Amino acid sequence: MKKHHAKKLFSSSLLALAIACSALNAQAKDTVKIAFVGPLTGGNSAVGIGGRNSTDLAVKLANENPKNKYHYELVVLDDECKPNIGVQVVTKIASDKSIIGSVSHYCSAVAMSALDIYKKFGLPMITWGTVLPDITYGQKIAEIHRVNGTMVNQNEVAAEFMTKLGYKTWAILHDTTDYGKGHNKYFSEYLTKDGGKILGTFGVTADQQDFTAELTKVKELNPEVVYFGGLTPIGVRIRAQMERLGLKAQFEGTSGIRSDSYIESLGNDLAEGTLTFNEGAPLEKMPKGEEFKAAYARYGYDQPYEAYGPFAFAAADLIIQAIEKVGPNRKEVTDELARTRDVDTLVGRVTFDDHGQNIIPLITKYVVQDGKWVIWEESDYGTGKRKLKGL
Amino acid sequence: MPLGVAMLVLLALSWALLGAETQTEVFGLFGVTAVIAVIASRLKFTESLGRVAVEHERAVSIACVVGILILMALFHEDHFPLLLLGSVLLYATACLGLNIQFGYVGIVNFAGASFFGIGAYTTAVLASHTAMPHLLILAAGGVMAALVGCVLLLPVLRTRGHYGALVTIAFATLFRSFLEVNDTLGGPQGLKIPSLQFFGWDLGEGLIFGGVEFSFYANYVFFALLLCMAAYVCVRRVERSWLGVAMDMVRTDEIAASVFGISIARQKIIAFVLGNLLVGIAGAAYGMMTNYIAPNNFTFADSLILVSMLLLGGIGNPLGVFPAAALILILPEKLQFIQEYRFLLYGTVIIFILLFRAQGLLPRGIRRFFPCAENDPRQ
Repeated sequence: MKKHHAKKLFSSSLLALAIACSALNAQAKDTVKIAFVGPLTGGNSAVGIGGRNSTDLAVKLANENPKNKYHYELVVLDDECKPNIGVQVVTKIASDKSIIGSVSHYCSAVAMSALDIYKKFGLPMITWGTVLPDITYGQKIAEIHRVNGTMVNQNEVAAEFMTKLGYKTWAILHDTTDYGKGHNKYFSEYLTKDGGKILGTFGVTADQQDFTAELTKVKELNPEVVYFGGLTPIGVRIRAQMERLGLKAQFEGTSGIRSDSYIESLGNDLAEGTLTFNEGAPLEKMPKGEEFKAAYARYGYDQPYEAYGPFAFAAADLIIQAIEKVGPNRKEVTDELARTRDVDTLVGRVTFDDHGQNIIPLITKYVVQDGKWVIWEESDYGTGKRKLKGL
Repeated sequence: MPLGVAMLVLLALSWALLGAETQTEVFGLFGVTAVIAVIASRLKFTESLGRVAVEHERAVSIACVVGILILMALFHEDHFPLLLLGSVLLYATACLGLNIQFGYVGIVNFAGASFFGIGAYTTAVLASHTAMPHLLILAAGGVMAALVGCVLLLPVLRTRGHYGALVTIAFATLFRSFLEVNDTLGGPQGLKIPSLQFFGWDLGEGLIFGGVEFSFYANYVFFALLLCMAAYVCVRRVERSWLGVAMDMVRTDEIAASVFGISIARQKIIAFVLGNLLVGIAGAAYGMMTNYIAPNNFTFADSLILVSMLLLGGIGNPLGVFPAAALILILPEKLQFIQEYRFLLYGTVIIFILLFRAQGLLPRGIRRFFPCAENDPRQ
């Protein structure tokens, strides 16, 4: 009967696979699985793929290390930056008992939707790119940790820095996701405190293509700086359309646009002078930074690691270190991660507070110079050789 | 006999699809499915199967229900396959609602995900702020979707074809923006929904039954199955009644229908409201199952997914939405191992299916006014 054929074929192939797997596992070390979850398709895929590659690199480096007690295997899942898909994939990894820890999420809304699943199944996770404060501070969940800073920190620095440069008036554009709205909220708060003046605030939807209406209004208001809170795809469109409308204001973004694809899509001339603010120390300044870059090049990943790759690498590294220390047990790993104090990672020292939030004091300022993101202090702008618009 | 074989093959395939994890397993499954499909069509098995299925409709329905129960038992403690199974059933329920609109009376509704969302958001608000029993809340989700849908009635009645579709597209976009700027409804971050409870029994908790532990998703699958069955029976009844005949007539030729004294507006209103009611109820249950909703779940793209399920299944055949929903929801999930390229492959598979079955997987047959087998002239 056909049904029997199908079933037989399937079960025999399954058996063959099991044998093959056990043959592989017959190495000296036990295999431990960790997961990566991030957006691999859709508008944010560039950052997601960068994070995926970096996590993959962390796992490969761990496997190269002969001192490690376990062999690591990475399970990669795509959350599409959609909450419902996020719930699905997180259920998948959380209910798979062989997965011990997860490096999860770039999109804040997805992380929010999945928080309870991590809690329910006791799966320790470190988020590598979400910036919404509520993820760690909304409720106290032992399994949730974050290596990068929240948007509160970055906007505090951004507001102070910009007012000190001498800018006085702003127009704020933000996407209406939690990400953009949060940025708008905290930036406006700190900016008003620092004495800056907001001439107008405009919310735009995350898939909007044409910003003529908003930008024409902005042009009328004639601010010195256009602040944009949102991710790369819209950032690129807004910057390009500003030029088309002859808007000469300085363009200031958030960590969401610090990706290489921002410069690639705009071209060097248009991207020149764009400012962003990122959590963490610049890679070049870190002791392991060059090592990471060299390893990334050695394994020949096609796509750049992007702004959040190092965070994903650090998150994976922390999970691996914890597993090495206490063994592949979710509960123990969660407890071990909670004890993380002053651990040296790729992105600087990491200390988790009682909400699992890394308390990094450092925010780095970046500016685009000749088609590259350059640290402000080292750029021609920082040294005074070139001037930002309107200064 | 052929029916039994087909059902078993289908059961085995869906079991394998839900359980398949690795690359080899998934590709092996593709191969096996393709081979079975080719052999079946060579042997003219599909044709005879179609005929038999029409004759033994009741048997087919019962077999489907039993099949899902078997799947549920097989995966009783695996959360993930059960979550997928539950999602498939609830999306299929929503598609049944759209089927009344699109398949019977011919209103193209591109705001399916929005009505789905209205159901889910109603549940979220009522379940966290009132002490209403949850079954009533589910119904309220459906009623709310139907009520909000009534706002669209006038433009939908006044426009036809593509223009009607545009109205619903506009609504879908509006709905999403409304959710994103509305902070009382959680804004872009979304809302948490408590899990479903019946008379003190929490569906969000695992169950031990006869010494065997069941995943809490098994509860939801069972519940979704009940909802889905109710929706299916309802849709079939509508189709077979005079109402269904009138709807078919409105779809095929509005002028002819009005000449025969059928009120076009009445048929359209009934279909639109009833359809949205079902979509809303499905959305409410889905929200409770996933425990979390955000505007990003209910975008225009998600509405397109609902419509594509309908198209893939075969417009107008309520049975078709089941395999279609299963394919569209499970396939991209199973292709996770190819990571960023999965939608490429997924798209190709769908295109191939539609190339070889342009009418959908299970196209709607010709209406049989005399269901008794001995009166059928084709025999």
